[in-house]
Amino acid sequence: MEFVSPEGLRLDGRRPMEMRQIRAEIGAVAKADGSAVFEMGNTKVIAAVYGPREVQNRTQQINDQALVRCEYSMANFSTGDRMRKPKGDRRSTEISLVIRQTMEACILTHLMPRSQIDIFVQVLQADGGTRSACINAATLALADAGIPMRDLVTSCSSGYLNSTPLLDLNYVEDSAGGPDVTVGFLPKVDKVTLLQMDSKLPIDIFENVMQLAIEGCKAIANYIREIMLENTKQLEYRRGI
Amino acid sequence: MVGLSLGEEHFIQGGIAQDLRSDGRKRLTYRPIYVETGVIPQANGSARVMLGKTDVVSSVKAELGKPSSLQPDKGKVAIHVDCSTTAAPMFEGRGGEELSTELSVALQHCLLGAKSGAGAGIDLSSLIVVEGKICWDLYIDCLVVCLDGNLLDALGAAIKAALSNTGIPRVHVAAGALGDEQPEVDISEEEFLQFDTSDIPVIVTLTKVGRHYIVDATSEEESQMSSAVSISVNRKGHICGLIKRGGAGLDPGIILDMMSVVKHVSEQLINKLDSEIAASEAGAEES
Repeated sequence: MEFVSPEGLRLDGRRPMEMRQIRAEIGAVAKADGSAVFEMGNTKVIAAVYGPREVQNRTQQINDQALVRCEYSMANFSTGDRMRKPKGDRRSTEISLVIRQTMEACILTHLMPRSQIDIFVQVLQADGGTRSACINAATLALADAGIPMRDLVTSCSSGYLNSTPLLDLNYVEDSAGGPDVTVGFLPKVDKVTLLQMDSKLPIDIFENVMQLAIEGCKAIANYIREIMLENTKQLEYRRGI
Repeated sequence: MVGLSLGEEHFIQGGIAQDLRSDGRKRLTYRPIYVETGVIPQANGSARVMLGKTDVVSSVKAELGKPSSLQPDKGKVAIHVDCSTTAAPMFEGRGGEELSTELSVALQHCLLGAKSGAGAGIDLSSLIVVEGKICWDLYIDCLVVCLDGNLLDALGAAIKAALSNTGIPRVHVAAGALGDEQPEVDISEEEFLQFDTSDIPVIVTLTKVGRHYIVDATSEEESQMSSAVSISVNRKGHICGLIKRGGAGLDPGIILDMMSVVKHVSEQLINKLDSEIAASEAGAEES
């Protein structure tokens, strides 16, 4: 199948190095301590953060740092065909783990010993790149909850189809069977915190594809900063300062 | 759960007794309702309803299926509610299942009528394509995103809004299938049929706190309730379903009294909801 037309356009009309439209909103869940919606094209996820609070299960308490927990779930209506899978299948468990490890690496957990931070991500619509969208939403939600972090971790995926590196794969491109590189990146300290790839890729091309994903992460980081600045301005305005 | 001090409990109870609740509402006033339709483009119809801080998303997906042999002239509708962990940490893992099931059953009672399909808010015979062979199966999935009391009313409103937004593709049946053969169908991608949603009831929950009852209770007020009665009423004022929850018993006289109150409140709610749905649909068409 042809994923990049001779004119250099992808199936959804994007250029190879073009990202889908991204949109973010802070404070979607009124009752949570911090929350955000993050959209990448048709992929739409909600993240909610509860905490830092008392550890619910005493046996899990850590004496010198905070306990970070994460649960990823997909709504029944999120995929094209209606899902009848129960909660907690292997894929969700794996993504929960990935998100937890990525977020744990950037939260300053040693500042909140003997406490617990819960991150819940809910996929409303899945169209490829849910993993990245979830990490971006979780970052915004954690920032909204006022949890101290080293940096704003952002994530983006890239792939390689028809001998062209492609940024931000959608569902059709993702299921084409080509390589899919997901990168989590700390833009300020310039470090990669998450790197996953399936399928196979020559090393010299891998470098290009990964660099492309990192560029995507940087673009998302800029956008997230804008959104947070806007949100802070709103808060300031409401307080009448 | 909601942690309240003794003082706060008295404050809420006292406010309800004096017809002035903690957020300034009267006993029979709803919080502002906000409706957004078409939030899930992949579904046939969808809506998001916010009732104060309570936030639910509802989607309708239609699939072609086979009608049951007992009712060959009727389609099938299933309602499923899922409590997202984003709404409350206690829904983690299997924690939300009990509430989800309770809500799904309650909604089925209130909106779908009896087992035979009689008295359903949705006209099930309109879902039939070929009698006894092909019908539409409607899957209504609801997701609770944020929880601040009065879930059932919000879910009922979200389902009504999602069904108003639903377009079922027109199906062309190839002629010539005989006997037991399954006829071939051609699903149109351009023509859609709209539902008649005017008969779909709304659900009004009356929560009894102390000697009085209130509509649209928040989480804090629900923690003080002795019992709650959810009544679904349609536009004509007919009662389509009734569920009583909570432990304390109710005087039969009070239940009758509640019904007349609900009848009055539901009229306002239906009008408010209809105008919100119309506004949202109009907004979606413009953009």
